[in-house]
Amino acid sequence: MKANSAASNPPSPPPDAAPFALVERGARGLTLHALNPAARALGLHRGQSHADACAIAPHLESAPAEVEHDLEALRRLALWAERFSPAVSVDTTLPVYEGLLLDMTGGAHLFGGEAALLADLRRRLAQAAIPAHVAIADTPAAAWALARFSHDPETIAPPGRMREAVAGLPMEGLRLEPAALTLLKRFGLKQIGDLYGLPRGGLARRFRGPAGLRVVERLDQALGAIDEPLDPVRPAPLYRASIVFAEPVTHVEGVAYPLPDLARALGQQLERDGRGARRLALIGFRVDGRTTVIEASLSAPAAAPEHMLRLLREKGLEHLDLGFGIDALMLCARVAEPMSARQGEMPTEMEGERQAAPPQALAALIDRLQARLGEGAVRRPQARESWVPERSEAWVRATPQAPPQPAAQDDRPRPILLFDPPEPVETLAGLPDGPPAHFTWRRAPRRVVKAQGPERLSAEWWRPGAGLANRAARTRDYYRVEDDQGRRYWLFREGLYGREDADHSPSWWLHGVFA
Amino acid sequence: MIVPLPTPARLLHRASPQDPSVFPQGAEALEEVGAGAPADAAAALAFALSRLASSPSETRPIALVTTADWLSQRGRPFAGGMQGWGLGRDRLIWVRTRREGEALWALEEILKSGAAAGGLATAAAPPFVVTRRLEFAAREGSAVGILLRAGPAGDLSAARRRWRIAAQPSSLDPWDAAAPGGVRLRAELLRRRDGPPGSWNLERDDETGGFRVAAGLAGHGVDEGEQRRLQPAVTAA
Repeated sequence: MKANSAASNPPSPPPDAAPFALVERGARGLTLHALNPAARALGLHRGQSHADACAIAPHLESAPAEVEHDLEALRRLALWAERFSPAVSVDTTLPVYEGLLLDMTGGAHLFGGEAALLADLRRRLAQAAIPAHVAIADTPAAAWALARFSHDPETIAPPGRMREAVAGLPMEGLRLEPAALTLLKRFGLKQIGDLYGLPRGGLARRFRGPAGLRVVERLDQALGAIDEPLDPVRPAPLYRASIVFAEPVTHVEGVAYPLPDLARALGQQLERDGRGARRLALIGFRVDGRTTVIEASLSAPAAAPEHMLRLLREKGLEHLDLGFGIDALMLCARVAEPMSARQGEMPTEMEGERQAAPPQALAALIDRLQARLGEGAVRRPQARESWVPERSEAWVRATPQAPPQPAAQDDRPRPILLFDPPEPVETLAGLPDGPPAHFTWRRAPRRVVKAQGPERLSAEWWRPGAGLANRAARTRDYYRVEDDQGRRYWLFREGLYGREDADHSPSWWLHGVFA
Repeated sequence: MIVPLPTPARLLHRASPQDPSVFPQGAEALEEVGAGAPADAAAALAFALSRLASSPSETRPIALVTTADWLSQRGRPFAGGMQGWGLGRDRLIWVRTRREGEALWALEEILKSGAAAGGLATAAAPPFVVTRRLEFAAREGSAVGILLRAGPAGDLSAARRRWRIAAQPSSLDPWDAAAPGGVRLRAELLRRRDGPPGSWNLERDDETGGFRVAAGLAGHGVDEGEQRRLQPAVTAA
């Protein structure tokens, strides 16, 4: 059985308030976007121009509608609703009828049955000041219709009897385009049940065109004759462990206490499949309908509960924003990879026992450092095929195995500390094409006693954006110089005298220091 | 009765703590390397790297921990240039931290884990308690820890050896008299646990990528005056 539950939240301030509307600026001026019950009771409706509405209800209050923010709020709510189901999607098929669709297939018993689930869902939403209508049905389309057009705020459609469940609902429940709705109403077809008796062939022929064809399709979706795939806000994690608290937890200790159990449960799930987590997320579901998350990345897949625990603690449980308390906690592996694929190589006999440190130790070390210092804090060098010094190597995200290096290694003298970008120096050159006799770097004058060079590195013209204005596009002459104190520097002259670009005379830069 | 002779490696190892005039090749668990002047930072770094890479049979990686402060003043580590000091690209790990507290914490984790052969952290003023912790961590993980300091400091430290490094004019390049030759520096051992302080003029040993005592007088430190007398003789040869 496929079960779906849908919740809609009509955007309305408290119903006892004065008439209130959100207005939208469109091609026809200001129009009403959403109304509260008091405004609806005055006979105002969506799409009406603001001027007309003010004529009917002079005391109508209004505010600009923020559609983007509404959607964002709905998305946040969808993340929160993941505590009920791993697959939650935001439904935006029709404007104003936005809502959430939760795939509850096979999951309702975890919450004490369908009735208890709906009551719990509605109660928790009400706690967060979100008035909601909820319904559960075999198909998403039927649940959609029941949540919006059933008189009862909590509706359960009996399994396998979708025809009866939606027969009495108005035609709007089929999620049709306004044009199709108007046409159906003109034929006197007001309820969904009115369509049952009509021949399908005739119906499909009659409602030809993009608007019409949907009638048969939407009806089939509601009755379960064709499947309707849902698009969850994010892919459901395969590995997850969660716990529901009897009372909202407001302190970090309350989160830390059940964490070992969650880690153990997750570790068992991962181990059973021979997989390890590469990305962990600890999600707290807050009572006010929001979620709070801490995430940790692992440099190599791991399933050991102790390691996961240490990482999360290193990240800092205090970073969970508990707000007024969380009532459920979930630990999930967002990304999982097979463990065997990343096994370290066997230590050879030549190595002593001290050297045979397991690669796991290094992976654990990298994870721990990254958890505390940030994602990109730990890096390893990788040589690149470029002769421009600052591009000749990249510090890539650290992994337990050293990144692959190109076979060709050159042994030209290179500094151990590199300035990127290079620092400008003022020079006093003896010859235009030779190394400088004096130079001033960081306001200290230095006398050159020994120099070697030039090592000429020309521009890598094949790089995109290497115009003449670009630094990389000018030829560099590198000199290794030593001052009278015995300190060695790597200087380069950018540009050639009388060549390349006449506007810029060659300039001198300090690119690094040698030992 | 035949007494088995100790192997040369053992002899060397034993010789260093006993004779204070011999340059100690092997590194202790925790050492401190300071630059004589801010401009000697590169020389101090190279010396520290050679201490970290001093065990030739080691294959575990070496970690460099830098603070944002140090990085902005001294430039970023360039692995292409560190290869010359016995550290291949495959053995280097660079950890960037914002503050010094984080750097010292990271160094402790690195040393303790046993996954690294050694670690180096840039530090301006490490508290004494932290240096104690670092020393224990290094022993626990059988690693070498080095604190790279901007200048020599007289504060308390649990480091077994405290060095002060100053760059020296390079030796003569045999092929090009005008070019900078082999790297030379002066290493002053300001304080050591196992003997009196000393100082040595060191030069780059191209075979091992480490440092050896300069001027060919192996095993003995050479003081300033003596070296001045020796220098012309060496260049003439």
